[in-house]
Amino acid sequence: MSITAETAKEHAKDPAVLCCRREAGQVISASDLEDPAIFDDLVDSGLLNLDGALTIEQVIGAKLTKTTDSLGPLTTENLEGYTAAAEEAPAEAPVEEAPVATEAPAAIAPAAAGVAGGTLKIHIGEGKDINLEIPVGALGAGAATVVPVASETAEATTGEAKASKEEEVVVRTLTRKHFSITEVKRGPETKIEGTTLYIREGIEKECVADQELVVDLKLDIITPEDYHTYSETIMDVQPVATKEGEDELGSGVTRVLDGVVVMVTGTDANGVQIGEFGSSEGYLDENIMWGRPGCPEKGEIFIKTQVTIKEGTNMERPGPLAAHTATDIITQEIREAMKTLEDSLVVDTEEFVQKRRPGKKKIVIVKEIMGQGAMHDNLLLPVEPVGILGGKPNVDLGNVPISVSPLEVLDGCVHALTCIGPASKEMSRHYWREPLVLEALHDEEVDLCGVIFVGSPQINAEKFYVSRRVGMMVEMLDVDGAFVTTEGFGNNHIDFASHHEQIGMRGIPVVGLSFCAVQGALVVGNKYMTSMVDNNKSESGIENEVLGCNTLCHEDGIRALAMLKAEMAGEKSKAAEKKWNPNVKSTNIELISNVTGKKVELVENEQSLPMSEKRKAKYD
Amino acid sequence: MRNVQILLRQHVGAPCEPIVKVGDEVKKGTLIATPTGLGANIFSSVYGKVEEIKEDRIIIKPDEVQGDEFVPISEGDHLDMIKEAGVVGMGGAGFPTGVKLSTPIEGGYVLVNAVECEPGLYHNIRQIEEDVERTIKGLKYAMEITKAAKGVFAIKAKNKKAVDVLRAALKDEDDIYIHLLADIYPMGEERAVVRECLGQLLDVDQLPSVANSIVINVETLLRITEAIEERKPCYSKNLTVIGQLNDGNEPHVYMDEPVGKSVADLIEESSGLDEKEPIGEIILGGPFTGKATTVDAPITKTTGGIIATMEFMDLHGAPMGILICACGGDENRMKELVEKYNAKLVSVTMCKQAVVMKSGALKCENPGNCPGQAEKVLKMKKDGAEYIIIGNCSDCSNTVMGSAPKMKLKVLHQTDHVMRTIHHPLYRHLTISKTVDQLPNGK
Amino acid sequence: MKYGDKIIKMEGVVVEVHDGCVAIDLKGRLGYLKVPMRMLITDYPIKVGQEVAWNMSFVEQLGPEINEKYISNLDTYNKRQKEMREKNANNKEVK
Repeated sequence: MSITAETAKEHAKDPAVLCCRREAGQVISASDLEDPAIFDDLVDSGLLNLDGALTIEQVIGAKLTKTTDSLGPLTTENLEGYTAAAEEAPAEAPVEEAPVATEAPAAIAPAAAGVAGGTLKIHIGEGKDINLEIPVGALGAGAATVVPVASETAEATTGEAKASKEEEVVVRTLTRKHFSITEVKRGPETKIEGTTLYIREGIEKECVADQELVVDLKLDIITPEDYHTYSETIMDVQPVATKEGEDELGSGVTRVLDGVVVMVTGTDANGVQIGEFGSSEGYLDENIMWGRPGCPEKGEIFIKTQVTIKEGTNMERPGPLAAHTATDIITQEIREAMKTLEDSLVVDTEEFVQKRRPGKKKIVIVKEIMGQGAMHDNLLLPVEPVGILGGKPNVDLGNVPISVSPLEVLDGCVHALTCIGPASKEMSRHYWREPLVLEALHDEEVDLCGVIFVGSPQINAEKFYVSRRVGMMVEMLDVDGAFVTTEGFGNNHIDFASHHEQIGMRGIPVVGLSFCAVQGALVVGNKYMTSMVDNNKSESGIENEVLGCNTLCHEDGIRALAMLKAEMAGEKSKAAEKKWNPNVKSTNIELISNVTGKKVELVENEQSLPMSEKRKAKYD
Repeated sequence: MRNVQILLRQHVGAPCEPIVKVGDEVKKGTLIATPTGLGANIFSSVYGKVEEIKEDRIIIKPDEVQGDEFVPISEGDHLDMIKEAGVVGMGGAGFPTGVKLSTPIEGGYVLVNAVECEPGLYHNIRQIEEDVERTIKGLKYAMEITKAAKGVFAIKAKNKKAVDVLRAALKDEDDIYIHLLADIYPMGEERAVVRECLGQLLDVDQLPSVANSIVINVETLLRITEAIEERKPCYSKNLTVIGQLNDGNEPHVYMDEPVGKSVADLIEESSGLDEKEPIGEIILGGPFTGKATTVDAPITKTTGGIIATMEFMDLHGAPMGILICACGGDENRMKELVEKYNAKLVSVTMCKQAVVMKSGALKCENPGNCPGQAEKVLKMKKDGAEYIIIGNCSDCSNTVMGSAPKMKLKVLHQTDHVMRTIHHPLYRHLTISKTVDQLPNGK
Repeated sequence: MKYGDKIIKMEGVVVEVHDGCVAIDLKGRLGYLKVPMRMLITDYPIKVGQEVAWNMSFVEQLGPEINEKYISNLDTYNKRQKEMREKNANNKEVK
């Protein structure tokens, strides 16, 4: 459809295509041009070939030399009197500012940051007086920059921070005492001696007896030498941690074992995987993205249970829960042993301080968790870190938003029962090391007021029900900005979008984080979903069945924070490209590093793992 | 001849009030209904007896023998005579001509709409060919009444014979010119005529008077001359009957048919509906703006055509989208066609240039100049349409054809069944220029 | 994929509803599909017999090679399932 002069200005750099047949001699104006907003769809349907098309700013005022039909691109072939391309401007007009355009793209960001208002003005003499206004972002020659002139923003915010030095308020602290484990053995009783953990022989029987649905439980100790072992799908990775004394989850002291994690796997009695849809089965070393927040670190010992549950219950809600509960009997016994440990065995002490920073931009993190049922469930706020006892399934809570403190998140308030795609599932350990919470907690430029968990119910009406509660809650918090995160992909993107709308419609800037890329492309959208961070790390942008590969990492948290700060300062993110383009991320990371002066270390992806034949054949 | 049914609402404005009663004898030119507000007098078009008065019409049983004499209107100044004769815009709008002419356009233009834009209709051009003298007289009366300086005939260049007749008749006229138009639809829309002749595009809610002009239909000029020179009330109508008839699909052009005559009578006189082939529908008016009717319906002062069409294709419930355009059928008409094609409506879109007026009618912001349709086509595709039916003008239809077939949408035009019936090219791609060369000095 | 853009609308009938997944028979006996809940967009509670629709394209081979890894995974998986079924049959406690 033809566009207005304003739209033409917004899309000055987009290709110029006739909306309708125009006869030779026509002087081109905005009303002759098709709206670039629909080009992607048109190109996709094979309707449009943009090869050789001049840009809109080049063609306005030019004369058509050939009668051209609708959706015909305007090119040097059918037009006369068009303006030369902006890239050529320096050659034609040796004016001071112009050389900026010819510099290497890498230099663009700092150079552009110096230009007022984010617009580079080039004046071309030539007797015709042509004024070009080129959005700075466009000079990057295609590499889209989602963070707009982040430098200015960040500087502004820093300045502000120094000016208003209001007192920080410590709300609560959480101390983690680390105990090192270098060896795990079976023995007559569960105990820790030095750095050796003994697990009672025969404990499996009690686990089986405790759960009606569990028919068998096999306990394996996987040491780094055994990493090349076949395993069933990994249902969860959990830290082994316990509260000290009467301390409550989220404050006080937590004891945690280093060098060892609990890993839940299982099948039903017919050998069918629990959580049929997570297929990270295979050799452990080929299927785990080491070091992701939710994953084991290389070198850690796995206490791996292989739980067999009653046939057919792998798809019912009680089945996976029984597998987790049976496993937790072992963990609980270890926890009891940990409680008796001498403080002299502590190898490291970590303190997390939850501070409020009055005067800084107040932000909240909304984390959407699965709540569609069965494997799509989580136990919230158990008594022990990532425990079972005392935890409430968010499905039973109606998936309504639950507010928690950042320290509760880091203290294992989520026992993740979800068995969604392994690459994007947030394991229990993920929350224990949640990168966005950590980044926001430690960022002195923002005032993180808390975290809201909200479940993702199955039915749309329920999705909107919980989403409206999120909106109300965020409204009451009076925040200046909000994050919305989700794990996996699928119908949870519907409420993910709705959360953005509910928050955005209240005038609160919102930045979203999700795995999207190719396979998880958002199914719905709205006008508030303008700033999005893609958690994808996989090379091809898909659910690559590698545990934890596409989950939220520190680099995503950093990007999201930069984006939210920019939004809160009134900057707008650039519109997304139609198709997933991994360069957007690298450009943004580069921009952020340039501004902060700190290099953002990017995590590796599946390409760093020994190449599993399966992945090789399938994806890359 | 069947009973004559004279509708009480034939023009813009409120329905007229009957002033005769059942049993009254009426003559040609007997005033039988008068306006209650804006409107025009309505006269009997036949000799006969009032048989019934219904809420919306007066039914007259015509006498066997019909004389040519009529009850004349009283003498007066020219504008009053036009008003008394109940002359209205005969091109379809039905705006009372007396009211239109009472706004002076000093030094302005009277633009004669001789475009006859609806395909398949021929009576306007035929009138110029056969009755140019009275037509030009009517224009002069209109110019005199409105104090206009110039008159312009807007006519499509393809009507060579009519153009030649006009050129001959106008060669010695000082202030009357001819403006030639390309053969695309729509050039006859009032604001399109102003734009083409005067180069000024009016807003949808502006009248031609903004451009110091009026637009008047060629047949209306004839009725003006009749009213002033012959004191004849406006009760007859020129029209074209065409379509799937027993004698083929050639047009039957009628001059001065009595208003209120039934469609059945006119079709019968035109050799009758084709008995060998099933009929799709009967349209009262032109293919673009006409409406489906029945044989029992009467013609009015604004009826331009009666078209009997071929049978509709049966699409067996295929999903169809409609693209509504101000230049073609309204939403109801388009939905009716979806039903007649036995398709399932899945998407309703409207051209971006179509503006809904206060009256509910649609007007195009720039008739005949497309604003682009790709977005609408994409929408219909996304809504699951396999077929789309469009009511667009030549230019917009061309644009739709630029995208829809590549998206594997099958395109139907609102007028397809008519065009097929009368062997007129379908509205699809536009292959001709939208502009034509003008005559030297407009003569 | 060579034909990935040839999108076909498929319809099916919900034949199993579990807590975590739904099984769908493709109409016209064109197959059977089991998908996790979150891959299903629903406005109403899901029930057996409800009709559903989605877009698909044809399934294309990526090449003639056989991936031995998958064969071995499949063998392991089948063998284990068989063993477990036999064990179940011999074990009267498990019922």
